[in-house]
Amino acid sequence: MASSSTSLEPLFAFLATSLSKLEYAFNKLPGSAVIQRYVRSSHQNDPGRTILELILVIFAIRTLMQSRTRADRAEKHFIQFSDKEIDELVDEWTPEPLGPALSAAEQAELAAVPVVVGPNGPKPRLASTGKTATNVASFNFTGLAGNEHIQQRAVETLRKYGLGSCGPPGFYGTLDVHMDLERDIADFLGTEAAILYSQGFSTISSVIPAFCKRGDIIVADRGISFAIHKGIQISRSTVRWYDHNDLRSLEEVLESVEKERRKRKGPLTRRFIITEGIFEKDGAMVDLPKLIEIKYKYKYRLILDESFSFGTVGRTGRGLTELYNVPAEKVDMLVGSVAIGLCSSGGFCAGSQTVVDHQRINGPSFVFSASMPGLLAVSASEGINILRSTPSILTTLQENIRAARAILDRVDCISIPSHPASPIIHISIRSPSSTSLHPASAALSPVKPSNPASPLPRDAGTWDWDVEAEERLLQDVVEEALAQGVMITKAKRLRGQETVEARPSIRLAMSSALTKKETEKAVTVVKNALVKVLGRRR
Amino acid sequence: MPAASPPSPMALNIASPTPSMFKKRSSQTLAPMTSAASYLSALSQADARARNSREKTPTSTPALSLSSSITSSSEDTVLNESDLDNNADGLALPARPPTSEQVFTTVHTEFGHCANEAYRLTSQHTPGEPVPAHVEQDPPYYILLSTYISYLILIVIGHIRDFVGKRFSPKSYTHLMPRNGYAPLNSDFDSFYTRRLKTRMDECFSQPVTGVAGRTILLLDRISPDYNHTQILTGTRTRALNISSYNYLGFAQARGGCADAVEESIKRCGVSTCGARLTGGSSDLHTVAEALVAQFVGMEDALISSMGFATNSAYIPALVGKGCLVISDELNHASIRFGTRLSGAHVRMFKHNDMGSLESLLREVISQGQPKTHRPWKKILLIVEGLYSMEGTLLNLPGILELKKKYKFYLWVDEAHSIGALGPHGRGVCDYFGINPRSVDILMGTFTKSFGAAGGYIAGDKTMIDHLRVHGHLGPYGEAMTPPVLTQIVASMASIMGIANPGAPSSTSGAVVPIDTPASHPGPAKQSDLPAWLNLPPQLSSGAEGRSRLRRLAFNSRYLHRGLIKLGFITYGHPASPIVPLLLFNPGKMCMFHRMMKDRQTPIIVVVVAYPATPLVTSRVRFCVSAAHTKEDVDTVLRACDEVGDVLDLKHGIKKRERWDIEKIVNSAAELAAV
Repeated sequence: MASSSTSLEPLFAFLATSLSKLEYAFNKLPGSAVIQRYVRSSHQNDPGRTILELILVIFAIRTLMQSRTRADRAEKHFIQFSDKEIDELVDEWTPEPLGPALSAAEQAELAAVPVVVGPNGPKPRLASTGKTATNVASFNFTGLAGNEHIQQRAVETLRKYGLGSCGPPGFYGTLDVHMDLERDIADFLGTEAAILYSQGFSTISSVIPAFCKRGDIIVADRGISFAIHKGIQISRSTVRWYDHNDLRSLEEVLESVEKERRKRKGPLTRRFIITEGIFEKDGAMVDLPKLIEIKYKYKYRLILDESFSFGTVGRTGRGLTELYNVPAEKVDMLVGSVAIGLCSSGGFCAGSQTVVDHQRINGPSFVFSASMPGLLAVSASEGINILRSTPSILTTLQENIRAARAILDRVDCISIPSHPASPIIHISIRSPSSTSLHPASAALSPVKPSNPASPLPRDAGTWDWDVEAEERLLQDVVEEALAQGVMITKAKRLRGQETVEARPSIRLAMSSALTKKETEKAVTVVKNALVKVLGRRR
Repeated sequence: MPAASPPSPMALNIASPTPSMFKKRSSQTLAPMTSAASYLSALSQADARARNSREKTPTSTPALSLSSSITSSSEDTVLNESDLDNNADGLALPARPPTSEQVFTTVHTEFGHCANEAYRLTSQHTPGEPVPAHVEQDPPYYILLSTYISYLILIVIGHIRDFVGKRFSPKSYTHLMPRNGYAPLNSDFDSFYTRRLKTRMDECFSQPVTGVAGRTILLLDRISPDYNHTQILTGTRTRALNISSYNYLGFAQARGGCADAVEESIKRCGVSTCGARLTGGSSDLHTVAEALVAQFVGMEDALISSMGFATNSAYIPALVGKGCLVISDELNHASIRFGTRLSGAHVRMFKHNDMGSLESLLREVISQGQPKTHRPWKKILLIVEGLYSMEGTLLNLPGILELKKKYKFYLWVDEAHSIGALGPHGRGVCDYFGINPRSVDILMGTFTKSFGAAGGYIAGDKTMIDHLRVHGHLGPYGEAMTPPVLTQIVASMASIMGIANPGAPSSTSGAVVPIDTPASHPGPAKQSDLPAWLNLPPQLSSGAEGRSRLRRLAFNSRYLHRGLIKLGFITYGHPASPIVPLLLFNPGKMCMFHRMMKDRQTPIIVVVVAYPATPLVTSRVRFCVSAAHTKEDVDTVLRACDEVGDVLDLKHGIKKRERWDIEKIVNSAAELAAV
């Protein structure tokens, strides 16, 4: 015992000197006397307080040191492993392949995608056959593609602006031609302002999260397009769904939302109705005046996606607002596609100055993306000029649509959910069993209402069509039509990623660039192909 | 346009009768100024002068009726004579007039003339050298403190103004309050930053421009009569040195071989492709461009999308979903976050470019598996950027590939800023490090930056690309890329690669410096792979100009980076990066820096970025160097920074005695860059 204490002597001596050194250094520190006095007096008065304060200091240090990435470790589900165990687990783990190989059907379909050689237009030359085909697949509704005046103006713009804008709008990417196009769109529609996005698809999925935040309420149509679904998904708002294109169902849902809110006595949140002008999924058209009436009645804001109605309906192609003679100002956010409606590239959102300015800072794909090439903006501006000055384009388009529908409506093995004025005509196979596919006839049948919280309609359980078989049949129709020199396409879907799986369909896109005769001829070919392929089925 | 004509809002008029507040007048008085305060007072005087004279000549006030069409293409092209006669800003004519042997095919205002072969470098990693981690150099404490105080003052004043304003002028706050049963569109809390902080410096953002975003750019001058609530275009224009656009290789050009090719394509293929890729919007040009991109980046196959943002946001969800994990660098771009959020995959972040943090995270997530269930992850996708757009950090690719071998994650490298800008052959980070690109699973990039086009690509093995073609959002729903954009991509990319033409005599003998291509990089593009009508001039098709562009960019990047450091500034990023951030810290200095650079004799436009794009304290100015800049242009920027940096007290990087004099930097540029 004694020997051990002697052997520890140097250590004690070292401790004593270092302690005194520490004390000396502490006393040297400015303000140390204050701390010392404070600790001493507090300890004297209440020794328990010292311990409490010490714990507090330790806790504060611990909180500061804890990094936020470690937060998961504190969870109760965290399992402690040794390094060796982790190494074993790492060795064991085998990931799934990143991009699984396509199925044979998918591969065949990808290979069958028509590839145009040279300019696209009413009669493009196809790479697969080397021959020209009549085009009722591409979006060239008003025949602006291939317009020589537009091409000439595009070349002039190229010589002044080059091609790319090389920057986002916030950082020297705002060209005067972009501002001109924004003003042209706003003038054309009759809104205060408009904002330009550089891709049509990304427009709506950026507009929605710019306004709809967590806690806000969105009431949306069950038949909205994929892009809108993505926008709603990213917004993280509370969503309620109403039956596809059924405004009575919309009112019911709005009532139930209002009731819910009154029950919870929550604060007033932003509320939006989101729907499409002409639906991408089936070509149905919304009854805009009624919708506007409802929106004002329930004090909702309306986000209307006019991707397929802007540049295709109305006397001069201003879209649904012109068709129904509703001032565009009444639509809070009017979203359209420059790519589809004006045969250029990009999309826009028109509305009040506040709505537009808000997006300039909060629209993700506006802020974080390069602005569109100047020559495409000028092409779109020219497209608007042409639409304004030549209403006959829209008349021709509507005539062609009527001519096509006159032929197709008589075929009894198909059903067409599209509106008679819609420039896109969806053709799906009529099931022998269920004939009530039209929304109008579906609304008549008195069944229990759908669950507003689910995007699936009430009759989703009764859907009996075989998606794969129908896709295959329709693809046969597409190929049969192509063999006869008519280029058509199925409405391609992202099976497995869609919220609501749409019924397979063929989508015809009418164009004013074709004459009535050519349209009739092409649609007759489609009809014959349908009859031939679907007839074989029975 | 004759000089005697009355001032029209469209005219390019150097001697404008309505001097704008941003004109060069104040720049002459700038030199003797020693403090920001004296500068500010001078500025406010100039402002007052400008406003007074504006009131006297109401005819030339706002150009609100700016015609939507350009009446004549020749009216104000870059070669406008009045522009060339007036070289007061030193931008229209090269500092050294060309000798008779030197032939420049570019317009100097778009792509600068620089014949000195000493000002060239190769962008390449020195083998064995460690990749520098992201270092954040701290400024002196008083800078940090004053920055925090500035924000505090801004926030307090903002709240006081809101408080008082809502009570005494409720009219101007109606859009922020619930009204007739409608909740406000932008909630008070969200919009506070925008209204009270960003609006104050709106003059630095969204500056409208015209013409080519090349070496120089034409600003449409604007003023704000009401504290930035509205901006009014005065109708005058200012040509400024452009060190802000993502124009790394200088392909933003309205003249030259690429633009000629684009013109040809518009005549041949029109402006639009009318539809999505899978539904009637595909053209042979897409096939050509995709094959060329795949060859360029050294992958099996590639796909092209019409928007860079959507390339991330629409294709990430096609690869990962529920049960998958995305590991994302904390400073990844918004489009990547957007895409991962849409995918429904679980997301974890690691510290910016920090391999240690990444490895410990990997060990944790693989051993723990999915949260709660502890099932193994279906797949783990690591998403990183090649070059970070706000920091200029270069990805530590060798480090990541090391980890990839052990931890078996998939790697998605977003090369939005690095493709074209890095590597001896311009093929991005893989090329820079001399790594086989096939060791990365997915190379994503954009055409907006180096190629002067728009849109993006994804390259990888064929199975995966085909999967993306069918299952990516843009295949069935997004519009296809338009022919002019495709042509610009094909032409610019082919000119970087060079075109192999067995028939023609080799024109590469006179090339700048022959670069021996390693086996991993496929050689030049084949003429047969390009559209038959594409006819590039010899200096482009030989690849000589492409190589020269790469080497000029490499030099300019290193020179500006090293020069700023030697001047004493705090900068971030890798010296090879064409993005050079210079730290400003104080929010007030952002506006000042921006304005002082723009008001110089040679106006320079810069991008200032602040919170939320950066952390609150590290506000910065971001230079984007281009191959289009000459060495003299970089000199100009350095001189400007030197002067402005003294006035604004920005030199906190190195000690005073270690700093170099600006003349010393300018004179020894080649040695400085080559260090």
